Amino acid sequence: MLEVRNLSVAYGGLRALADVTLSVAEGRFVTIVGPNGAGKSTLFKTISGVVPPASGAISFAGENLLAHRPSDRAHLGIAHVPEGRQVFKTLTVQENLEMGAYPKAGRTKWAHTLERIHTLFPILAERASQLAGTLSGGEQQMLAIARGLACAPRLLMLDEPSMGLAPSVADLIFERISQIHREDGLTILLVEQRVAEALERSDHGYVLETGHIVLEGPYAALLTDDRVRRSYLGLTDA
Amino acid sequence: MDLEILIENVLNAVTAGITIGAIYGLMCIGLGLIFGIMRIVNFAQGELLMLGMFASLYLVTGGKILAFLGPYWGPFIGAICAAPIVFAGGALLHRFLISRVSGLRTVGSLDEGHFGQLIVTLGISLILQNGGQIVFGSTPVAVRTPLSSEAYLIGPIYGGATVFLNKAKLVAFFVAILVAIVLYLTLEYTRLGKALRAAADNPTAATYMGIDVDRAYRIAFGLGSGITAIAGGLMATYISFGPFVGFDYVIIMYSGVVLGGMGSILGAFWGGLTVGFVQQFSALILPPQLQNAAIFVVFLMIVLLRPQGLFGRSAERA
Amino acid sequence: MRLGVGSQLRRNLITLLVLAVVYSVIAMFVTNSYYQLILTLVPVWALFGVSWNILSGYGGQLSFGHAAFFGIGAYTVTLGMVYWSLSPWLGIPLGMVIGGLAALAIGMPTFRLRGHYFALSMLAYPLAILYVLQYLGFQEVSMPMHREHAAAFMEFSQPRVYTLIAVGLLVAGVVISLVIENSRFGLALLAIRQNELAAEAAGINARLWKMRSLVVSGMMAAVAGGFYARVLLVVTPDSVFGMLVSAQAVVVTLFGGVASVWGPVIGAAILVPLAETLQAELGTYLPGIQGVVYGVAIIAIMLLSPDGLFWTIRDRWFTRTAAAPIPDVGSAPPSPRRAALRTDRPLLEVENVSRTFGGLKAVSDVSFSITEGEILGIIGPNGAGKTTLFNVLNGVLPPDEGSARLAGQEMLGRKTFEVCRMGVGRTFQVVRSFPRLPVLDNVIVGAYGAGLADREATASAVRALRQVGLADQSGVAAGQLTNKQLRLMELARALAGHPRLLLLDETLAGLGREECDEMLTALARLREEGLTICIIEHTMHAMMRLADRFVVLDHGRVLATGLPRAIVEDASVIEAYLGKKWLARQNA
Repeated sequence: MLEVRNLSVAYGGLRALADVTLSVAEGRFVTIVGPNGAGKSTLFKTISGVVPPASGAISFAGENLLAHRPSDRAHLGIAHVPEGRQVFKTLTVQENLEMGAYPKAGRTKWAHTLERIHTLFPILAERASQLAGTLSGGEQQMLAIARGLACAPRLLMLDEPSMGLAPSVADLIFERISQIHREDGLTILLVEQRVAEALERSDHGYVLETGHIVLEGPYAALLTDDRVRRSYLGLTDA
Repeated sequence: MDLEILIENVLNAVTAGITIGAIYGLMCIGLGLIFGIMRIVNFAQGELLMLGMFASLYLVTGGKILAFLGPYWGPFIGAICAAPIVFAGGALLHRFLISRVSGLRTVGSLDEGHFGQLIVTLGISLILQNGGQIVFGSTPVAVRTPLSSEAYLIGPIYGGATVFLNKAKLVAFFVAILVAIVLYLTLEYTRLGKALRAAADNPTAATYMGIDVDRAYRIAFGLGSGITAIAGGLMATYISFGPFVGFDYVIIMYSGVVLGGMGSILGAFWGGLTVGFVQQFSALILPPQLQNAAIFVVFLMIVLLRPQGLFGRSAERA
Repeated sequence: MRLGVGSQLRRNLITLLVLAVVYSVIAMFVTNSYYQLILTLVPVWALFGVSWNILSGYGGQLSFGHAAFFGIGAYTVTLGMVYWSLSPWLGIPLGMVIGGLAALAIGMPTFRLRGHYFALSMLAYPLAILYVLQYLGFQEVSMPMHREHAAAFMEFSQPRVYTLIAVGLLVAGVVISLVIENSRFGLALLAIRQNELAAEAAGINARLWKMRSLVVSGMMAAVAGGFYARVLLVVTPDSVFGMLVSAQAVVVTLFGGVASVWGPVIGAAILVPLAETLQAELGTYLPGIQGVVYGVAIIAIMLLSPDGLFWTIRDRWFTRTAAAPIPDVGSAPPSPRRAALRTDRPLLEVENVSRTFGGLKAVSDVSFSITEGEILGIIGPNGAGKTTLFNVLNGVLPPDEGSARLAGQEMLGRKTFEVCRMGVGRTFQVVRSFPRLPVLDNVIVGAYGAGLADREATASAVRALRQVGLADQSGVAAGQLTNKQLRLMELARALAGHPRLLLLDETLAGLGREECDEMLTALARLREEGLTICIIEHTMHAMMRLADRFVVLDHGRVLATGLPRAIVEDASVIEAYLGKKWLARQNA
């Protein structure tokens, strides 16, 4: 469904991504892991159009994504749950969700989607009229994910959902993401630092280090590969 | 005897403060949309006020378009009809000039693009003021309505004190309140209003949602212009104005928005109302030329002492 | 005066002299009285622009209210003549003094604001004065004529004399501006404009320099205003305190070229005759054409060439490619502070530092120490609080709790530039350079910040560049450097202040393998010369080779400290980076 080919991106004067190729097949759960500064967020920003690529191609459901303006890409069915949650702090929880449902697909299926969101994250129903800025970190993350679901997307991209969260809360979030994949069959692309939590739920994984894909494979293989640890802790020579 | 006069003066100042304050409040809502929510520093806001006044004038008298409404309702409807004209003007300004120095282009830059905004809008202000002088001439004009010389009399209370409620100002007051309420409802409850607020809150995340942030900013800018223009049209019924009138009100507008707190439309309204009050009360003790100087002092004190205002949602301090 | 600017300064002064002479000669031949007036007004407005440029161009503090000083000068001269028969020869200097005092009075409250609030507040002052004057009844004040002793009252039947005086005043103003531009004053202002925080971290007392620039600017503007009044003979509040006056300073400078002394001169030379002529020719059909011209000019320049004509012309036709020679400073003796003190005493002791930020406890009860001559690496997952820790150490943020002592002296809670003077250098995640200035000037800022005198500062900067291996790029404009070179330059800037401790924030981010190696070599060399380094980094493989010890932060707390090999085997560290389940799986 999503194909990234030979993508190179320079961001803020730095070489963030170099010749990255990866793909996400429909209905699959793909994870990208890697240490800090590896370029993971830049990848998402480029897919969403906020950062322009230097070279390479991205296609989504057969369409050349780079030919679409950034604000049109959500309408194609790509939902981006940003790093650091980025909820609309001055809007209420309910309004945040409504903004998530801004594209047409979101609006036509709104009633059904909202119900699903409330089942997954009951706390959002409770706090519907509370300002999003007053929620706790974990609640904001749930809101950000729900916001992503609100447009009934074809692809859900999540950028480091566990960042800044206490481990138990992060585990809950991962649980929900898994649940969404299992029960709704949604295509998911997840970027994470927490390797095992991310990998063990996914079908396929990529390891990104300083802008390069250094490892890839089915999750079972990656989980037992010590090269992942070495990559994180700077012990590789490559 | 003196006490009666004092009470009469105070009461009249109160009513004047409320009526004029509501119009100032509306004016500040216009700037509040642009400066308070979008954080665009618009130096030409006073000129948008002025354009509203002239638009109303020409609609009512020059073009005879609204002449059929008669002199009682004409000026007030004219004020409202000035809005779409100035809305379009503001949107055009934004599209071609202001968008280049604001919005997603300047997110994350050191000063959020304020330098560029100040300079470009200074240029727009100069062009509108002086261009206005060329087009409209500099003779003071007004949008006369017979209501401006009629008043309701309340009293006598407390002895001989009488309160004068100028009819024109009273009608303007109600129109201002009405427009403010309509705008508030639009922003709070419509999909467009929420999208505007989202785009101002976090333009990057709004883009991820599929909202066209440039277009949202343009609409918001146009709305802010149009609202201020209505306030101008209302003010035109009781003051006489020329192409340079906007400048007197720039500091009033910024004082109101900052006092009410950035990011809050309601706050902008209350801020404007408060500033209107201060101005009318200062008329009790100060001569007219010094009233505006008093507003400057108020502005300086606000930004120095309490920059987050009364209802602010964020502090913008050095 | 900075070393090495001599030839450039001489060039500028010669250009100035030539222009002044040519202009004066032209003025001799003009007979039409209106054109003579324009010829007199151009240098006056240019001088006003030059004064504005000092505060708002060099210093970046955008002021929308310079008419305050202009008007003060004008009214001092006028009222002086009217009430005390004070000759303008005395009135103008008096206006200058009052202008300076006004600048002090205005600066003290207003410099507490920044950015657009500062600009808007500056707007308030001339307008408040305007309203007060109108209230006091000074609608229009004319200067009395003096038949006898005309010259003593700066009254000349020949308008050309006014032109010459105006040129003279402008020459004086430009000379002052050039002196500022080429001294530490100018460099400090440019640094503040570029990034006030980084300037403070380099040791510059921003508040003091901003105030100085305002006073100089105000005095110069008052002189311009005073002479303007003398020429026009009639002042109204609006003509000298009005918005158009303030706008003219802004427009003329931005149009001609901001942050350059030639900008206002060019701007005035083009815009003033244009506007005045249009006003004279078309003023009856198109009143206010002057304002429209200025408005169009400023919008056009902001959209097409935001830095102004001077820079656009210079960049396009006068790019210097050859590196300017390094000034000869001889072999400078090593800095006294860095005489090798390789004891094992701790240089920095951090105790129980905590700081809340954005509602979270960003730094929580952090303690560690660094011994002299050591390289300590601060690592940890994203959001662990590392940069906040540096901000607290550096004086950018005060701590909620805790203390940190540098060689026994408490360093927390001080202003950033004071911390720098104590001997702490810092680099930031995003490099801020002055792209048009040569590398050497960029580095000298750090030396000035540490309080060194001109000669020592240049020597120190040259040495710093040699230390990082950038000596051959000294004369290149910083905007032409590669990413790696920029980071080396920033390192040199921090070094030029003779620090004992260097705080480096993600110096290696985004560098390729080779570039990374070069940086590492440079850093290792610095350690050998006796520097103590504390570095935040994510690039783990580099840190493994560089750091003597690690401190691992997670969620604001110290997770572990120790030798690199031990740290990467440490269970809690692995868990923090890779997650609990990974660890469980490995152990299972």
